[in-house]
Amino acid sequence: MRITQRTMRRRFVILLFCLLAAIGGLVGRLAYIQIGQSSWLQQMAQATWERNIPVEGTRGTIYDDKGRTLVYTASSPVIMAVPAQVKDKPGTAKALAGILQMNEADVLKMLQKVSAIVYISPRGRRITEQQATAVRNLHLSGIYISEAGKRAYPYGDLAAQVLGITGDYNQGLTGVEKQYDNVLAGQRGYISFYAQANGKRMPGTPEFYQPPADGMDLQLTIDAQIQQFVEREIEQAVAEYNPDHVTAIVEDPKTGSILAMANYPSFNPADWKAYPPSTYNQNLAIWQTFEPGSTFKVVTLSAALQEKKVTLNDRFYDPGYYEVAGRKVKCWKAGGHGSQSFLNVVENSCNPGFIALGERLGKDTLFSYIKKFGFGQKTGIDLPGEGNGILFKLSRVGPLELATTAFGQGVSVTPIQQVMAMGAIANGGILMKPHVVQAFIDHDTGKVVQTVQPTEVRRVIDASTAKQVRDALESVVARGSGKNAYQPGYRVAGKTGTAQVAVNGRYEPGHYIVSFMGMAPADNPRLVAYLAIDYPRPRNGAAVYGGTIAAPIVGRILGDSLHYLGVPPSSAGLPKKASPLEPAKVEVPNFVGMTIGDVKRSALQSGAQLNMEVVGSGKYVILQSPPGGTQVAANSTVRIYLGDTSPNPQAN
Amino acid sequence: MVRANRNFDYTIVAVTLVLLTIGLVMVHSASSVISAQKFDDPFYYFKRQLMWAALGLVLMFTMANVDYHRLRPLAPKFIIASFLFLVVVLIPGVGVNRGGSQAWLGIGSFGIQPSEFAKLAIILFLAHYLADAADRMESFVRGFLPPLFISLLAVGLIMLEPDLGQSVVIMGTTVVLLFAAGARVRHIGVLAGGGLLAFAALVAMAPYRIKRIVAFLDPWQDPLGKGYQVIQSLYALGSGGLVGLGLGNSRQKYLYLPEPQTDFIYSILGEELGFLGCATVLALFAVLVWRGYRTAMYATDEFGSLLAAGITGMIAVQVLINVGVVTSSIPATGITLPFVSFGGSSLTLMLTGVGILLNISRQAVR
Repeated sequence: MRITQRTMRRRFVILLFCLLAAIGGLVGRLAYIQIGQSSWLQQMAQATWERNIPVEGTRGTIYDDKGRTLVYTASSPVIMAVPAQVKDKPGTAKALAGILQMNEADVLKMLQKVSAIVYISPRGRRITEQQATAVRNLHLSGIYISEAGKRAYPYGDLAAQVLGITGDYNQGLTGVEKQYDNVLAGQRGYISFYAQANGKRMPGTPEFYQPPADGMDLQLTIDAQIQQFVEREIEQAVAEYNPDHVTAIVEDPKTGSILAMANYPSFNPADWKAYPPSTYNQNLAIWQTFEPGSTFKVVTLSAALQEKKVTLNDRFYDPGYYEVAGRKVKCWKAGGHGSQSFLNVVENSCNPGFIALGERLGKDTLFSYIKKFGFGQKTGIDLPGEGNGILFKLSRVGPLELATTAFGQGVSVTPIQQVMAMGAIANGGILMKPHVVQAFIDHDTGKVVQTVQPTEVRRVIDASTAKQVRDALESVVARGSGKNAYQPGYRVAGKTGTAQVAVNGRYEPGHYIVSFMGMAPADNPRLVAYLAIDYPRPRNGAAVYGGTIAAPIVGRILGDSLHYLGVPPSSAGLPKKASPLEPAKVEVPNFVGMTIGDVKRSALQSGAQLNMEVVGSGKYVILQSPPGGTQVAANSTVRIYLGDTSPNPQAN
Repeated sequence: MVRANRNFDYTIVAVTLVLLTIGLVMVHSASSVISAQKFDDPFYYFKRQLMWAALGLVLMFTMANVDYHRLRPLAPKFIIASFLFLVVVLIPGVGVNRGGSQAWLGIGSFGIQPSEFAKLAIILFLAHYLADAADRMESFVRGFLPPLFISLLAVGLIMLEPDLGQSVVIMGTTVVLLFAAGARVRHIGVLAGGGLLAFAALVAMAPYRIKRIVAFLDPWQDPLGKGYQVIQSLYALGSGGLVGLGLGNSRQKYLYLPEPQTDFIYSILGEELGFLGCATVLALFAVLVWRGYRTAMYATDEFGSLLAAGITGMIAVQVLINVGVVTSSIPATGITLPFVSFGGSSLTLMLTGVGILLNISRQAVR
């Protein structure tokens, strides 16, 4: 007995030490976890406790060239749910569905999501104040109302396709909104708190607020006033010609700034979901490619003049066709233009003349100029969705392809490419990179953070060549196919284009794209404007030509815009060749600053056949419409406004 | 034999009461969130644990005053009753299944766990058997196997529930008792070898088991599945750091750590009271183990010695397994922390065991 108990005692001691050693080992293990590993375990644990409710920063405002607000962020209520805190899910879903006019089952599905925060979308975003109040009054547990930005458009649908649209999360989807999404969006902030595993707030824990940073404002090169001129003209053209599409661009050739860019059909960016996707997803001005037609002859002319293959005084005989590789390529004018100078060739837009120029240049030289002018590649404008255009592969260019390319067929270009090419001619031969954003502005301080500098792409032709081309194009407007673009006092230079549209590889009868590409003033161009109308359908069934349909519109856009920009009219330009159909014009004298007596005397002296309409009362004329120097039809009415102070002391 | 009429070991009483108090406080702190969530009453578990503690203390002091020798004749009856209960609990409709284990008898929350009673019955029976088996312990078949057979039979029944934790505790306690009773180390080696072989066979049958068992080595391999509970436990311990977040300030108890009031109460204790709290609790258990084996050494007879060694061994084995699991030191095995975890059967049985231990100490010869 004693012996066994002695054995037992020895074993008890061994057991005791083993167990105590094991306990000691666990103490060591605990020290390793709770002291050694504490900091990273704590970090991991915190990450599982932490919940962040995002708080959006205000999306930046978009201004026009003159600082007018085109898009800003208005605040509107948004409904959020924390599903774990919603006690009565079916009841809450029913109540919300009623107020938001949503499907009850859809709302319930959102409330049942295993997620920290759920937005009741789509109708729970951007709700009205009345809806917000109604929801607030229900005091639903787990339902929160927060503020969310909603894009507002003071000018309605103006420049919609340039501005672009934003989605449900205020993310930029198209246009400037997409291109500069990172800049406009700013930095998201958040409310951070500790949550229980079921999503409810952990009691007695702190809350942390990281305020969001507002996005930056953008100043565009777009001028709302010029944009309005352009859109007004497009609207009128649509009313008159019921076309498929219209595209127009106005550019400042010296900087590459786009002052206006518009298309038809367009849409209202505040309500874009109500429009077909093609209207808000595509900006035809940079995306659409088509055969340019005669506007492209400017490129051929520039190349030929630069390469000294021709002078404008050289003679050319057009029998009405040009034989290329055994085939007769016809001139647009039946019977031809006969004997003419190359200046006449340009004025008349004579195809055989340009085929001759193309042959003189050869395919390598002509195509190198086409590429130097920027065709066949993106211009790099700061807008998404730009097209490349298509050129013949040089190896595939035979005599016929060379001939058609020379007068603008068989190549495919975008409107913006044509505008930039024309801009190069306007800008003394230097091709610029187009852009629509000119400055980045701090949203809170209003200070300019960064400005966009004009970017030269390359010199395409010499300044002297560019001047020759401009003179020729001024002549086109003064005396040739572009005469409908003529603006008295403003030296408009330009080129018409009429291209038949191929559908499925075949030219579709009656389907034309008429265009006009102009610049003014020709001696020192301030503006380049372009307009293309796809499939005009004149009501009287008249033939469609760029010269008859597009040219007058571009003329008006240039005239209005130059006048708005304060560019003084000049009389140095080529006088317009009178057409027998047009009534005689008289020049309106400048009456501003005169007294009413002087006006009468002056009007009589000038022999102008004008009617006067006097508005207001006072001693002096403070304003007149149309302004002095304007050419108007005889017997037109001039309105003069009277005031008490002379606006123009020098006039006396 | 000299019958000493002395006071029982007050150190054991004091340590037990301190652990019990810590347990009550921690059960309240750890369970308040889950109680409110499940029963709309943050005191749900605390009130029940308080009741069980009161019952347990009554049992403890009763047993402390009942001569443990009077238990010896009852040992065979207890073991048969235990086996009966272990069988009855398996009958569908009679036993209650909670958390995937058919381990409870009774109605609703007031269920009892036959496996808890089986642990004490086995200790009692093995002490009874081994006390007179000194001459037989040389023999593997006559001395070593019969008590092992009893334990294995109980483990077999418990594994049908299944309850791995209780099985491991029973085997651990059995080994402690066999070793204490003078079993040859070689025999224990054979048992360990047999266990390894059985384990190898199980793994060979289904290789995924090895993955599950070694998952504790890197719980982050399956952070939302098998590793989830252990990871949450480590987060709790790590967040606690040296001094803890303060009593009541656990964050992991906000439904991150499942069942924070039972098997993982030590994690919450570590989060709120830090390493210092954790080490203090382990130190208290160390004192208890020391006093338990001191009692075993000075007991008047072999039966008393073995009974004390068995009860102390059971407490020690449970502490090692529980804290081992919570600290991800051993594979996941569900077992309560004695005196601290919530659980009526566990608590009352532990206190009953301490009561018996106290009576042995009272009769011990110094």
